Amino acid sequence: MNEKELAPHIEDINRALKGKVNSEQIEEELQKFRSEYRISLGDAKRAIVKKFGGDPLELYLNPEKKINEIRGDERSLDIKARILSLQDKEIEIEGKPKTIFYGILGDDTGTVPFTLWEAKSLDLEKGDTVHLKNAYANTWNDQPQVNVGSMAGICILDDHEVPPFEREPQQCMVKDIREGMRNLVVTGRILSLEKKSFQTDDGEKDLFSGVLGDESGKIQFSAWHDFRLETQQVIRVTGGYVRSWRGIPQLNFDDSAEVETLDDSEIPSSDVLKDSSNMTISQLARRGGAVDAIVDAVVIDIKTGSGLIFRCPECNRVVQKGACRIHGKVDGEADLRVKGILDDGTGALTMIMTRELTEEVLGYDLDRAKELARDRMDQDIIKDELEELMIAQPMRIRGNVTSDEYGLMLVATEVKFKRIDVEAEARRLLDEVSV
Amino acid sequence: MSMMRREVAWRIFADELNNSSLETSGDDERSPSYIISPLGAKVNRVYAVGVLTEVDNRGTPEEPLWHGRVSDPTGTFFISAGRYQPEAATALSNIEPPKFVTVVGKTSTYRPDDDTMLISIRAELVKEVTEEQRDYWILEAARGLKTRLEAMAEASKMEEVSVRELTALGYDPTLAEGIKKAAEHYQTHGLERYWSMMGDALRYVLPEYEQADTFDRPAEAADEGLTDRVLDVIRELEEETDEDGVSYETVRDAVITREGISMSEFDEIISRLRRHGKLLEPALGQIKSAY
Repeated sequence: MNEKELAPHIEDINRALKGKVNSEQIEEELQKFRSEYRISLGDAKRAIVKKFGGDPLELYLNPEKKINEIRGDERSLDIKARILSLQDKEIEIEGKPKTIFYGILGDDTGTVPFTLWEAKSLDLEKGDTVHLKNAYANTWNDQPQVNVGSMAGICILDDHEVPPFEREPQQCMVKDIREGMRNLVVTGRILSLEKKSFQTDDGEKDLFSGVLGDESGKIQFSAWHDFRLETQQVIRVTGGYVRSWRGIPQLNFDDSAEVETLDDSEIPSSDVLKDSSNMTISQLARRGGAVDAIVDAVVIDIKTGSGLIFRCPECNRVVQKGACRIHGKVDGEADLRVKGILDDGTGALTMIMTRELTEEVLGYDLDRAKELARDRMDQDIIKDELEELMIAQPMRIRGNVTSDEYGLMLVATEVKFKRIDVEAEARRLLDEVSV
Repeated sequence: MSMMRREVAWRIFADELNNSSLETSGDDERSPSYIISPLGAKVNRVYAVGVLTEVDNRGTPEEPLWHGRVSDPTGTFFISAGRYQPEAATALSNIEPPKFVTVVGKTSTYRPDDDTMLISIRAELVKEVTEEQRDYWILEAARGLKTRLEAMAEASKMEEVSVRELTALGYDPTLAEGIKKAAEHYQTHGLERYWSMMGDALRYVLPEYEQADTFDRPAEAADEGLTDRVLDVIRELEEETDEDGVSYETVRDAVITREGISMSEFDEIISRLRRHGKLLEPALGQIKSAY
C-alpha cells in the first residue's frame, strides 16, 4: 500500500489513540506489520492500538462520514443521507423467507447502494432523510456499499439536514452507465421506440420506451414525457437517471430533463451500431447486464435439462420423469433448448437458447429430434449431440444479459460458430511480441 | 445485492499453473480459495485442452478414482475424477489415450511440505475434441499469457503494485488483484522464460513446426550435466525403495545437499525433466525415472 492508501488507516489509529502517538511513528509501525510481517490491515491496526496502550474497540467507533468518504471496509459507520431509491426483495435465510430492502443512498457528496437486512420495525420510504448509526460497509464489484444490520440504528431526520446532491451533469458513454447514476448526459441514436399508455391518478399518461445506442453499447430507455422522439434520431439527453431491471441498467428521463436533436453524423448508423456492443463477461458482470450484448466465448458445459425436454402444459415447467413439480403427472409437450455455461476467460454466465436457435445448431427440427430420441429410446441423445457440437468451440453469441442472485444469464437471440484461422492468428501474435 | 458468481475458467498453460506456489483463501470459509500463478492468474477453475496420455484407476473397481495426465506444449496437467464427478469419471474411463481432450475443473492442491505445492484438476468435464480445437485453445492460452506478462511488466514499474493503477491501465480487476499478490510473492524477474514459452507454444500450431524440442533453450543446455546428475540421484534413490517412485521431498533434499542448488533451480530441473518425458509422476508427490 502506498502512503495515500494508508493515510485513512493511520487516521483511524490516531483517533483510537487520541493523538498520543505521532503519525510518522504509526505509519512506520503499520508499514512494519504490513510489509515485513504481512499482517492483515485490520489485525495490524488492532495490534498497533494495543501496543500503544489504546483500546482497539475505539477503532470501530467511526465518526460520521460523508458518502464519498466510505471506503468499503468500515465495521461501524455513521451516515446521514437521503434514500434515493428503495425496493424490497424476498430472500431465503436458513430455509425461512425474509424480506430485505435495498436501494441507493445519497448526500451532497455522492451516492452509494445500501441494503437493510433487518427492517421489521421500519416504515421507510423513498425520499426519507435518515441517520444510520453503526451500519457497516463492504465492497461489491469494487464499489463500496452500506449494510444496515441488526446492530444498527436508524432514525428519520428533517429533510434539510442533508443538503441535496447537485453535481454537474456528467457525460457518459452507454457502456459506462451504472445503476443509481443521476444527472447524466448521454448521446445516442434511437434504435427502437414504442409508446405505451397507462392510467394514473391524473388521467392517461404516455411512456416512450426503446433502445438507445452509441459506439460503446446499447441501453433501454424510458421517457416519461413526450419529447417527440423518433426512431433513428440522434439525441442528447441531459439530466437522465438510471434504474435497473434485473441487473440491466435503464436510462430514464422526465420533463425535468433536456433533450436535443443532434446532427445525424454525431453517431454511427444503426447498421454499424448493431455490432458495436461486444463485451467481455467480466464487463457484463460489473455492469449487471446489457441489452443486445455480443459475447465471444466458448461453451464449457451443457447442463441437465438441455436438449429434448418436456414441459407441463399447465405451467410450462420442465417435466421430470413424466411429472410436473406442481401439477403431478401430465402429458408433457416436447421442446428443445440449451442451458449452457459460456466462459470467455474473463468470466462465466448461464446461456439459454430457445427452440429455434437449438434447432439451428442441431440442423434439424423438434419433430426430427423426437424421432431420433424414440428410435434410440434415449431422450439424452439430443443433449449429447449438442455437447458434441458446441463444447470448446469458439462462438459469438448475441442476447440480452440480466442478473439476479444466481448470477448472470444471457438469453441468446443469435448463435454463431466463429471460424478462426488459428495459424494466421498465431503468426500475427508471434510478430507482435517477437519472441 | 449479492450475487453468486460462477468462477471463470482460466486458459493457462500447464507450466505456469504447475509453477504456482501461492494459495489464498477468502475472508470466510464459504469463499473459494484461489491459486495465484507466478503471473497473477487467480485460478479456481481451469479450462484446458491437450493430449490425454495416461488414464488409470487409483480407486477400487466399485468406487473408481480416475487419474489422467493431459499434456499441452509446456507441460502436464494432472487431472482426477471420482464419485463426486460422475460424468467426468465416466468420460475419462471411456477415452483411450492418446486423444485430444478438453478438461474443465477446479484446482486442488497438495502440500507435502511447507515449500512444495502440487496442483491437480478435479475434472467437472472431460470430452474428446479435435486437433483444431486444441490449436484454438493454445491461441487463447497464449493471449491470456501475453496479457498477464504485460500486466506483470507494468506492475514491475510501480514502486508499490496498486490494483487501482492496474485497473486504470485497462486490466481486469480480478487480474489486477492476482498481479499484486503475485508480485508480492514471486520473484518478478525471469519473465523472459514465459515470453519464450509463449513463443514456443504458438509455433507449436504452425505447420512448419515438427516434433523438434523447442524447449531446449541455450540456457538449459548449459546445465545439461546437472540435469543428468539429478536423474542419477533419482535412480539411486529408486534402487533403495520398493515403492513405485520416490517422494518429491526425498529427491529434493538429496539433490540440494549434494549439488548445493536452490529450491527453485531444483524445481526448474524437475519440471524440465517432466517436459522431456524423462520423469514420470506415478502419484501426486511421487516421482520416478522414465527408464
